[in-house]
Amino acid sequence: MTELAAKLVAVEKRYPPREPGAAPQRLFAGLDLDVARGEFVAIEGKSGSGKSTLLHILGGLDRQFAGEAYVFGQALRGLTDNQLATLRHQKLGFVFQSFNLLPGLSALDNVLLPDAFGSGVPDAARRAREALERVGLADKAKARPAALSGGERQRVAIARALLSRPPLLLADEPTGNLDATTGEGVIALFRELHKEGMTLLIVTHEVRVSHAAERVLVLREGKLVPGEEGT
Amino acid sequence: MKGARLLRLARGNLLRELGVLSVSAGGVGLGIGCLVFFLALGAGLRLAVNDVFPASTREVEVVVPQVAFGSLLGDLKIDDALLKRLAAIHGVERAFPKMALRVPAVTRYNGMFFGHELHMGLEIIATGLPPELLAQDVRAPFEDQGESKPIPAVANRRLLELYNKVFAPQRGLPRLTDSMLIGFQIPVELGRSYIVGKTMDNPQQTALQIAGFSDRAALAGISMPLAVVRRINARFGADAESYSSVLLRARSSQAVPGIAEAVKRMGLEIDESERRSALQIGQAVELVTLALSLLAALITALAAINTTQTFYASVRERRREIGILRAVGATRGDVAAVILLEAAATGIAGGIFGIVLARTAAALLDWFAKTHLPDFPFKPQSFFHFGWGHVGLGVGVALLAALFGAFFPARAAARLDPAKALSE
Repeated sequence: MTELAAKLVAVEKRYPPREPGAAPQRLFAGLDLDVARGEFVAIEGKSGSGKSTLLHILGGLDRQFAGEAYVFGQALRGLTDNQLATLRHQKLGFVFQSFNLLPGLSALDNVLLPDAFGSGVPDAARRAREALERVGLADKAKARPAALSGGERQRVAIARALLSRPPLLLADEPTGNLDATTGEGVIALFRELHKEGMTLLIVTHEVRVSHAAERVLVLREGKLVPGEEGT
Repeated sequence: MKGARLLRLARGNLLRELGVLSVSAGGVGLGIGCLVFFLALGAGLRLAVNDVFPASTREVEVVVPQVAFGSLLGDLKIDDALLKRLAAIHGVERAFPKMALRVPAVTRYNGMFFGHELHMGLEIIATGLPPELLAQDVRAPFEDQGESKPIPAVANRRLLELYNKVFAPQRGLPRLTDSMLIGFQIPVELGRSYIVGKTMDNPQQTALQIAGFSDRAALAGISMPLAVVRRINARFGADAESYSSVLLRARSSQAVPGIAEAVKRMGLEIDESERRSALQIGQAVELVTLALSLLAALITALAAINTTQTFYASVRERRREIGILRAVGATRGDVAAVILLEAAATGIAGGIFGIVLARTAAALLDWFAKTHLPDFPFKPQSFFHFGWGHVGLGVGVALLAALFGAFFPARAAARLDPAKALSE
């Protein structure tokens, strides 16, 4: 049996009603997901369908749900807050649509951010420079986020996600704020990472990203259904 | 190592929010500045009081009570036998008997006094002291050298201060240092009084020769060697056997209460007039320092509240950033630690600023006192005394105030729901 990188079983997620007396909003209704180790999966869905929430649940950032979530066989429900932080630090990399860099830090220090937590990252300084080199920003190491273009910021965010060499990368609309050319560069980088054995779970509403994935799922009416296959 | 990495992260935030945090640090600094300023002022004033009333914590002056059962019967006096008993009290290291000059004496000075014509007549009050009591301060022989030789005399330093600050300016006389006066001779007539206008039989013309200045010398009048006073009293038929007081030096300050009790059991009492004055002034200084320090503490507390508001605002603005920290592996404790490190840096900066502020204000006040206030007796060089304890206290209190101020915002930051923070 192929080892699973991520697994969701009968996940339900409700939000409190917007108005008093109204019924709670149901986002997921018995949602299941299996992502094999080394797989590249894209999840499509309309805005507000719960794509980001799905990633937050898998990343242990959102714990208010019913059902079970597993990451590399570990049930997230049984982990303490600190254990979840360790899991994120060692096994997960996050890439966000809006880059989420810390404006007070240079590109290099942003990449080094995971080194500040847990037991740090071995040989962090060298790895950070390598990560920046890999995303083509070795010469922008000292630049602040405000001095970088959108594409450059996203590449710094990807370099940060790669610092601790996590086996699973969770990306939330990674090309959503990028122009076509820059977005292609980011997609090419994901392909490379996938070839190197990294598991990628990317939520997107862009076809070009889905085409790069091995498997495409669509989040529709609270459930994941197979979508058009990628490469 | 982890602390250093968190500090690097906090440094980035500090640089970004330098303006707002500077205001917080300034508030803390103002409170700390007031606190350190008032504490240093209190310490400086205590030193000044000690200068005026130098009181040893190991020594007590034993006297015969003015109204005592024994003295009514006419038999309570401090003679050699009682002196031995006093010296034998448990905890007493040494006993120094003192004898008043019980013979009237006057001085008439007509001549040049350090380049100025001086005509002066004074009644002399003198006390005989054991030479070893003043040994550390005298700079010329202080012993009985015979009837034909000048009498060595030691004056209290405070008299020299009063001469320089009051007497000399009023009379247009030069200011003097103790070294200028060592060896200076003043003619003296023993057995004569200007006050009662009477001269005893066979008065004696001699001279006083200044041998030094000492805080231990009698404040009223001058101090002579005990043997000289005993000889003069005997020559004129006055009491040359009993002592007017005895200075008891304890082995430690802890032994003093026990010694005082033993002295009282002997029917004697402790002369605490000078110590009481020092104590009363010291207590007044303590009280004012305490009141002003409380005011400073209030300012610091307000600064801590301001710090709370600043960090709450900062946490509100950085909710998304806090979500990112959690996403890359920060625990709740790490998030709180980053906020508290920023607060600690703000507090330490405020503390250092406050100390600089206090020292600057003190220097300005000292300068003002030096240039604008008259030169009164015992006027200190500085009204302030800054010690390392003040620096430690200033930085410590500033650090605590900032950490206290940032505690609740840090807790709020640690409790943020990362998913919600990232979705904003």
